[in-house]
Amino acid sequence: MTAQRKVRVPVKAGYFTVPDDSTQPPRLLGTRCEDCGEHFFPRRAVCARCLSRRTVDVELGPQGQLYSYTFVHFPLFGSMRVEHVGYGVGQVDLPEGPRVQLPLAGKQEDYRIGMTLEAELEPIREEGDKEVVIIRFRPVERAA
Amino acid sequence: MNDVAVLGVGMHPFGMWAERSNADMGLAAGLAALDDAGLSFRDVQAAYVGHIFAQVMSGVRVMKEFGLTGLPIQRIENASATGSAVFREACLAVASGRHDVVLALGFDKMSAMIQQSGATTDPAFLEDAILPAGFFAMWATRRMHERGTQASHLAAIAAKNWNNGAKNPMSQRQPDAPVTVEKVLASRMVAWPLTAMMSCPIGDGAAAAIVGRPEIVRKLRPGRPIVRVVASALQSERYDRGHLFVGPVVGPARMTVDTAREVYEEAGLGPKDLHLVQVHDAFAIEELEYYELLGLCGKGEAEAAIERGDFAPGGRIPVSTDGGLIARGHPGGPTGLAQIWETTLQLRGEAGPRQVDGARVGLCHMMGGGSVCVIHILQRD
Repeated sequence: MTAQRKVRVPVKAGYFTVPDDSTQPPRLLGTRCEDCGEHFFPRRAVCARCLSRRTVDVELGPQGQLYSYTFVHFPLFGSMRVEHVGYGVGQVDLPEGPRVQLPLAGKQEDYRIGMTLEAELEPIREEGDKEVVIIRFRPVERAA
Repeated sequence: MNDVAVLGVGMHPFGMWAERSNADMGLAAGLAALDDAGLSFRDVQAAYVGHIFAQVMSGVRVMKEFGLTGLPIQRIENASATGSAVFREACLAVASGRHDVVLALGFDKMSAMIQQSGATTDPAFLEDAILPAGFFAMWATRRMHERGTQASHLAAIAAKNWNNGAKNPMSQRQPDAPVTVEKVLASRMVAWPLTAMMSCPIGDGAAAAIVGRPEIVRKLRPGRPIVRVVASALQSERYDRGHLFVGPVVGPARMTVDTAREVYEEAGLGPKDLHLVQVHDAFAIEELEYYELLGLCGKGEAEAAIERGDFAPGGRIPVSTDGGLIARGHPGGPTGLAQIWETTLQLRGEAGPRQVDGARVGLCHMMGGGSVCVIHILQRD
């Protein structure tokens, strides 16, 4: 038995899951339109494509393809960790259709447009017995 | 746009003005516009005021500096496009026949906003983690992937705008020596491949325009060329698969294409009729994309056009002639009105060292976060 982990809490509720099993990747919380089938992130009450109100909650991802990226030379907003003084950002196309924009794990040379990435949780600070986590994407293949 | 002319324009220089209030700067810009038009504040029948960062009521309060005449005052806010949206509402108020003389005023102190934000903003993460520079850097990375764009193309745009700013007394950035591509590339990396000199500064300032019936120009300023507002359009986002809902600064590229089509149709003009253009160049990659989205060059041709100097002073269609957001600055509320100031002076032939020879038609394009695209076309009779 390892030491008890702190309880992981999302930096903002309603956007992604925090699995009890820390070996499982998080999923993004989205919406599917029951009339036209379009998927959205984040959740929404009305379909942006056909304006139907018949929408249901779905979980999206956890994998997607990198559409574009950058590496920002500033500290990650809200993070207290020194390794976050610079950070990658990517736009990721999910297989269900939505494009999402989130921080990336790794360094600029790890990224390549079109590569597959997977969502993961990353702690940014501790608050009492809780660990505040964000969702980000990590390359699951090496950049050529 | 039915019979609307720019009667007068005025600005307070953009810059870091720690000792000056929004009221100081707004009054200076508004009085300059009144003097330019040859009008008294008593002639102004309505005012539209734009600010992003100043507190609630600031618009109406600043207007009291001009005098208390009971005129209707309305505050408009549309992020970076605030000044453009203010100008549009003023034009519509004249075009509708409701008013003959209307003031459009924009002001902001972005420097004060930046100082406050660190202490008061709760890190919402999803919206805040991606800085504007990071968002537009991803436009650049994608463009490089698709078209082989080099960082030097972006630096060439930035250098052009810095050097244009050196010729504009209202410009925030006033380089004392010509800015080179190498200098832009060597400046601090903000979000790869965008460097600090490819990005607009934080600043303060104010700008104003008075719009009204064209015959007022003939009466008050005989012999002055009449600058008409021949088209105005404001569009918001349309949905396509892959739309980004969280974190983008502005919507998809087609916003500029769709809004441009609307103004070109309204004006009965096309991109080939333009003599100068101002765009939302908060970052150099934006200006590059807008060349194509506005139809100033063909798809995939922007890099070659930059290398030829098509959009530089003396080129085919000079762009960001006043320095653009990158050099002239981008305080927020007044930015779109600074574009109207520049275009009006250019079309009158009063732009001094920046003058585009024979300029008769100018286009002003702004994006506002959220997002909206606002475009106006001004034409000299």
